[in-house]
Amino acid sequence: MLIIGAIASALGIAGALAIDWFPKVGSTQADDIDTLFDVLLIASVPIFVLVQSIVLYCVWKFRMRPGDELKDGPPIHGNTALEVIWTTIPALLLVGLCAYAYVVLGDMEEKEPNTMVVNVTGEQFTWTFQYPAENGGKPVRTNQLYLPAGRPVKFNVRSKDVIHDFWVPEFRMKIDAVPGITTEYRITTTRDARSYPVVCAELCGLGHATMRQTAHVLPEAEFETWMQRKRAEAQNT
Amino acid sequence: MEAASVAHAEHHHGPPPANQSSRVEPQLLGMLLFIISEVMIFGAFFTAYFFIRVVQGEEWPAAGTELPVAIAGVNTAILVSSSITLHWAESALKRDNRFGFKAGMVVTFLLGATFLFIQVNEYVHIGFSPQDTAQGSIFYGLTGLHGAHVFIGLLLLLFVTIRAFRGHFSSQSHRGVEVPGIYWHFVDVMWIVVYTSVYIL
Amino acid sequence: MTARLRAPGMPRAGLGLALGIALSYAIVLPVRALYGFEPLVDGDAVTIVALLAAPFGFLFGLGAFDYWFYWASGRPTRPEDHSGHGATSWRDYFRVNTDHKVIGIQYTVTSFFFLLVGGALAMLMRAELAQPGMQFVSTDAFNGLFSVHASILIFLFIIPVFAGLANFVLPLMIGAPDMAFPRLNALSYWLLPIAGTMMLLSFLVPGGSFATGWTAYAPLSTDAPLGQLFFTIGVQFAGASSVATALNFLVTIITMRAPGMSFWRMPLLVWANFSTSLLVVIATPFIAASQFFVLLDRALGFNFFVPDRGGDVLMYQHVFWFYSHPAVYIMMLPGFGIISEIISVKARKPIFGYRMMAFSLLAIVVLGFTVWAHHMFVSGMQEWIRVPMMITTAIIAVPTGIKIFSWLATLWRGVLHLDTPMLFALGFLTMFVLGGISGVMLAMIPVVIHVSDTYFIVAHIHYVLFGGSLFTIFAGVYYWFPKMTGRMYDERLGKIHFWITFIGFNLTFGPMHLIGMKGMPRRVADYAEQFAGWNLFISLASFAVGLSTLIFVYNMVASWRGGPRAEANPWRALTLEWQVSSPPPIFNFDQIPTVVGGPYEYGVPGAVHGVFKKPGEVAPAPAGRVATAPKKE
Repeated sequence: MLIIGAIASALGIAGALAIDWFPKVGSTQADDIDTLFDVLLIASVPIFVLVQSIVLYCVWKFRMRPGDELKDGPPIHGNTALEVIWTTIPALLLVGLCAYAYVVLGDMEEKEPNTMVVNVTGEQFTWTFQYPAENGGKPVRTNQLYLPAGRPVKFNVRSKDVIHDFWVPEFRMKIDAVPGITTEYRITTTRDARSYPVVCAELCGLGHATMRQTAHVLPEAEFETWMQRKRAEAQNT
Repeated sequence: MEAASVAHAEHHHGPPPANQSSRVEPQLLGMLLFIISEVMIFGAFFTAYFFIRVVQGEEWPAAGTELPVAIAGVNTAILVSSSITLHWAESALKRDNRFGFKAGMVVTFLLGATFLFIQVNEYVHIGFSPQDTAQGSIFYGLTGLHGAHVFIGLLLLLFVTIRAFRGHFSSQSHRGVEVPGIYWHFVDVMWIVVYTSVYIL
Repeated sequence: MTARLRAPGMPRAGLGLALGIALSYAIVLPVRALYGFEPLVDGDAVTIVALLAAPFGFLFGLGAFDYWFYWASGRPTRPEDHSGHGATSWRDYFRVNTDHKVIGIQYTVTSFFFLLVGGALAMLMRAELAQPGMQFVSTDAFNGLFSVHASILIFLFIIPVFAGLANFVLPLMIGAPDMAFPRLNALSYWLLPIAGTMMLLSFLVPGGSFATGWTAYAPLSTDAPLGQLFFTIGVQFAGASSVATALNFLVTIITMRAPGMSFWRMPLLVWANFSTSLLVVIATPFIAASQFFVLLDRALGFNFFVPDRGGDVLMYQHVFWFYSHPAVYIMMLPGFGIISEIISVKARKPIFGYRMMAFSLLAIVVLGFTVWAHHMFVSGMQEWIRVPMMITTAIIAVPTGIKIFSWLATLWRGVLHLDTPMLFALGFLTMFVLGGISGVMLAMIPVVIHVSDTYFIVAHIHYVLFGGSLFTIFAGVYYWFPKMTGRMYDERLGKIHFWITFIGFNLTFGPMHLIGMKGMPRRVADYAEQFAGWNLFISLASFAVGLSTLIFVYNMVASWRGGPRAEANPWRALTLEWQVSSPPPIFNFDQIPTVVGGPYEYGVPGAVHGVFKKPGEVAPAPAGRVATAPKKE
């Protein structure tokens, strides 16, 4: 019985981990979160398998057979030891997982040096990105998000009207854009130069589904050239 | 008049009498649970108050406005004394003092109505509206919610008073006075909480 | 005709409705004239007042308040003549009826009507989502579809259907002749069709139905078109209904139990409804308040959610979730009760760890109030709230786990009768575990930052509310169908219904975990091309679930009309509701039974739960007295 359970759990874990769950990894935070999710899968599959196999075993072994119509089971009212076990073990497991999640959260939100700031503003139904002014110049505003590869970025998120939510699935991070306050999160982009969707994840009205833009992660040098050009354009308007 | 209720008893086959499994009367328990619910709705309004005044840190009362603390204080005294007169009416009833009971009910009702009148008058003269600021919104929200409760309480008191004048209730049968009475006392206590947090603090 | 209009009933209710609407004009026009507002006749203003006034006109006409008015006007006390009690024809289901059994059926049938409506809305959504791009409905209409879908199924199906089932069986189970406040009970039922009609009517107003989700976050909801107010005000009626019912259950359970039925001899369904009612009484006022704020902001220009004027947008979410998280347990705990009844009876064994089962319910009630902000991990609220909420959220899985394991232990070495109620109970057990597991994952802040507001959430909520609550509801309806109607349902159709639902359900909601993780946000009418394959698959599977519901409806209707007569106790259950005829006599019991033992003493030789003797007489001592039966083995 135990062996069957162990084998089933192992197969279940293998199956659960074999599924390609995640979008591409676009930030260092993504790795932390993906690992945490995998750990959660490993912790949960045995519990799931345990419950399913007990149910299936009971259905197979203890189902009513012809002639048993009027029979009753044994009058077992409880078992204190068993009840203590299935209260404490899950509690310990959960506290352990919480502690791990707490550590991951701390890592994800750690402040890095050399962080670039981007101001993100949501409105019905578009995002605007603003790069703060440097050396007395004017700030740069764009409709698509451009980021340098391999650099810590902090997003300050605001909203002009209702609540939106700034989400790039590949970064794994999101935060609501709330009217009246500024919210923020930090990521560090990976070295890959790729484009990702920017999605609004909080229902914001009629055009919510279409509030999608693009985040372009460019190699450092390419980003600098782009930025120079934009700064010059901003200066001339 | 209460005797009128006995007439039908025999020709109708009713349900078996329910077992009374608690010393608390159902009506009393029902009212207490309802008051828990009421406390929670005030709790939700106080949450809004807390968010606006403490979390947002808005000035209280809003700049350029003033709350009539003294008048509201007098009004508080009026409402509290209505609780006392109600208690007086109830104890008169328990001694079968019908005059005291009726007089107590009338005085309680009038005190409650005066409170409501002064409150409405305060709205007229206070000089800001709920549309001006969030502070105004929650001020009117909390006092208005309480005012609505006073209004309901007054209706209940009115019913009791009418029935008092029609000769209902006695020292043996006074649940119909007690249950609305509990509600009225709750409305009073709630006002003290509202007054303290909105006007004084 | 005038006589019919003067007596309480549907004609007078129609008149009351019309008068209510007329009254709204009578209130709005003079006020607007007084303030010099333009235009004088404003549809919005009249509608808002009518939404509040017309229902009261209807209820007054129907006669819901007659007795209280009679009392309040100080006329001589009218004796209770039981004229409003019981049903002899279908017409008795369309009037104010004080019989808890009639009200239970009114509740159940009404809420199943709303299940079909809500399900149909889901089918429309899945049709639209079968392919990327827009095919059948506009984006705004789509937002309306999922908003009404969720609101109807939460406020008019799951919450009231549990109240309905409990209304029918709970007084019988505790040996009471009726609920503590039968007239209040009737009123709480009649508030429901009002709330539901209101929400559905929102489709007809200019600007379309409310389209801000069932969460109606401010400030989206405070400047939405008129349809929003049909939700804002409709919820007030549904909420008032559930508070009134909860209060009634609590008072009934505390004051009207049969002699000998101590708290530790109550069936777990009674325990479950006791816990649920506590949650309802304490939490529901918060959603009422949150919708009052929206109403005041939207209709009268208050500033609760206007940041420029000192308002706080996040306050809405705190107040809303302080109700709506406990509401999740309001939608689950009665189901736990139903499952406990069914598993014990169908496995022919006492429930394992009865006291822990009751304590874990109470633990969930207490913990349920400490976790609301886990819905707000990405809302921009104060960061320090997150970690405490993560821990309480994870811990709440412990009492839930105790229940799951205790049910499994109850199955162990039993004699399992695998008929439809039991299949649904086992289906619940297996599916709810999955919903619980994804729930624990969602407690972990780093994970939820990524998956909140995605289809992962949609999957989770449907695993707990469909695979969880709805399966328990189906189980409960099949289980008590013989008691409620006096007929047996068709077992073969019941099993077909189960298997199609079970498989279709998993095919529909299982893949949603994956596409959510992959980055598909929820509440979208259109989605990226990469999710097209799975969405088509999900849509097809969901249609199978829709079809299986029709089998259920056919089975219920046909069996109610022409099913074989049911015996008093077809499941050989011990609880009191099965000790009376099917359907039960009009006043439940000729005499109140005396309870002499626990409710689940299956397998104890000669065990009895209740005996029908007057309390004064000596009950025939059952062989192997149950009260002293060994607690452990």
